[in-house]
Amino acid sequence: MAKVKVKLFGVYRVDTHISDIEIQAEKLSDLLEALNKIAVGEQKSSLSFTDATVFVNGEHCKKKRQKFNDGDEVWLLSPASGG
Amino acid sequence: MTNYKGYMGKVLFVDLTKQTWEEFPWTDKDRERTLGGKIMAGDILLHHIKPGMKAFDADNWLVVTTGPLTGCGCPNTSRFNISTISPLTNIVTSSNCGGDFGLTLKRAGYDAVIFSGKSEAPVTVHITCDDVQFESAEELWGLTTGETQEKLAKYPGRLVIGPAGENKVLYACVFSNERTAGRGGVGAVFGDKKLKAVTAFGTKLPAIHNEEKLKTLNGKWTKLLHTHPLTGRQLPKLGSAGLVAPMQAHSILATKNFSAGRFDGFEKVSGEELAEHHLVSNGACTGCVIRCARRVNVDGKVVKGPELETLGLLGPNILNDDIEKILKWNYELDELGMDSISCAGSVAFAMELAEKGVHDFGVHFGETDNLSQMFEDIAFRRGEGNELADGTKRMSEKFGGKEYAIHAKGMELAAYEPRHAVGQGLGYATANRGGCHLNAGYMVVVEGLGLDVNSLTPHGKAAIGIMFQNLMEAVSAGGSCMFTSYAVLPGFLIGKPNLLLTRIVLAAFPYVGPVVNLLSHFTKVPQINIPLLPHAIAVKHATGMRSNMAKYLTWGAYGYNCERIANVILGQKADADKLPKRLTDELQDPNNPKTKVPLEQMKKVYYRARGWKDGIPTWHRLKTLGFDIDKSVYDQAVAAARTPE
Repeated sequence: MAKVKVKLFGVYRVDTHISDIEIQAEKLSDLLEALNKIAVGEQKSSLSFTDATVFVNGEHCKKKRQKFNDGDEVWLLSPASGG
Repeated sequence: MTNYKGYMGKVLFVDLTKQTWEEFPWTDKDRERTLGGKIMAGDILLHHIKPGMKAFDADNWLVVTTGPLTGCGCPNTSRFNISTISPLTNIVTSSNCGGDFGLTLKRAGYDAVIFSGKSEAPVTVHITCDDVQFESAEELWGLTTGETQEKLAKYPGRLVIGPAGENKVLYACVFSNERTAGRGGVGAVFGDKKLKAVTAFGTKLPAIHNEEKLKTLNGKWTKLLHTHPLTGRQLPKLGSAGLVAPMQAHSILATKNFSAGRFDGFEKVSGEELAEHHLVSNGACTGCVIRCARRVNVDGKVVKGPELETLGLLGPNILNDDIEKILKWNYELDELGMDSISCAGSVAFAMELAEKGVHDFGVHFGETDNLSQMFEDIAFRRGEGNELADGTKRMSEKFGGKEYAIHAKGMELAAYEPRHAVGQGLGYATANRGGCHLNAGYMVVVEGLGLDVNSLTPHGKAAIGIMFQNLMEAVSAGGSCMFTSYAVLPGFLIGKPNLLLTRIVLAAFPYVGPVVNLLSHFTKVPQINIPLLPHAIAVKHATGMRSNMAKYLTWGAYGYNCERIANVILGQKADADKLPKRLTDELQDPNNPKTKVPLEQMKKVYYRARGWKDGIPTWHRLKTLGFDIDKSVYDQAVAAARTPE
């Protein structure tokens, strides 16, 4: 398990009032599941993290099996960022 | 008069020199050809302008137009348009506004008003159902936009300028309530005509062709906007400012005069920061159900908050991460009556000229304490502010730095750095009014911010860009907010970006160009209506005019070609669709050869799909679209456009 620094943006942040959170996760799918439990499970957000646009260390990441290293920074943007 | 409902059937012509007024001829054939709004205004200007006519000529008309949906009860349709020859670009500009002037102009019985000539002294024009009054505006002259509107508070619909318009700052804007007709310097043309304010009020309402059907449609339309991920969730919660973070992620957040696409301090000037710590309440244009505007506190007063463009261009683009300053500057720029995009772009360019030792205007990257003073100096054309008041293009002609003067056709670019969204780069270059993100077709929404289409490939960008340019042209002409056109993008593509189906559709997007071209070119094909584009159906129910998706694309194509050929007649050269070399020749990421705008490659495809040669519509294309201009005027204009300067 890696210690990952997660930053939430968009509707995720406004709904959950969480801007930064540290999560232990081996891969991206685990991290999203953990966040779903924290945010959606506690009804802070109706928006599933499974639909997030993900950036890992500044790079767009579309692989749910993406493995993490200690200190990785993950950005989660709510879908529909346009406006 | 008109046989169509939705319209008021009259266009007012006001001569400011003689202080007289009369009805301007506008027939149902004209309505069928142009729909309304910016296309109607473009058509009126096309048939009026002469080669070489300039913004500050008395004969330059200010054309204020509404759309047929304005005042018909449809959601988000209070928008009105101001078109004129821009002093910033010397070509046609069209500037859109969500204040209530459009509604009140229709209540006074007019679909549009044209201002000609110049008043000798400052004047306010009051438009009512039966009369037009000219009142001295000596007492208003010198007042800010807010002060002017307070003085005119008893009139329900107002258009006003501030000191920047009076002093002919080339990017001065016009206000209606808190909303702005911001781009292209329409406020400077008001100022040149000594037109400080216009009011309109009355008791008339547009008749509706099929009230029952329109009411049912409006209910569905409102629901669509409320449930769509963009217009129902993202925009109300974060406003357009919500784009700062995704722009950072996608490397399209213009930073340090467009020398980079990411800014370390972006979070401090983001939509999230604005929503969590500064938002007092949501605001809205008249009749809006999205409510994306922000209301914030500045010095104890609740005022309009900044849009994305202002946050980006007065934040990362000048290396500023102090959002409180941006809130204050946004208010100051509104009161002075200046376009925050062009003003901020000019400031960033001045900062880079100073950094490179070319000329010190007194403003420097990362130093922001004197910017309020600089804004005032610009508005009143004092000292170095007088140079910045003429905009980036003229500054680059006088002082140098053309390769990093960030404008297209003389208009400063919006806050999207296009080297990581190359279709947006093509849009900026080809947009008729210059460096405008919306007139460009707003490709960034497709290239990462809404849909995740490959932002670095040139493939398909011309075709998709043309479709969105045409669509937004018609949406605007109908009287609708252009944000409503996002709802045309199916919700699942936006809200479920990680679904396999979404990924397959988006991966195929760059290769659908030929199909999109066919639909755009042979508009008799899509004789259908789709629920995601209620605008076309609403026009049918409101007016009784034949309207569907195909008509909307045809109106859009007519409008886009109309402004283009008008620009050519005014003197636009064949090579006008350009971007500064920084964006086409320098890599944003030195390790990624795709991070520059392959403009010439995309332009070839774009021109072919448009039916243009060297950026000029062919005679055949114009005739196909139904233009009735004089062949000799066309031939002379084209010959002049192809003659090198």
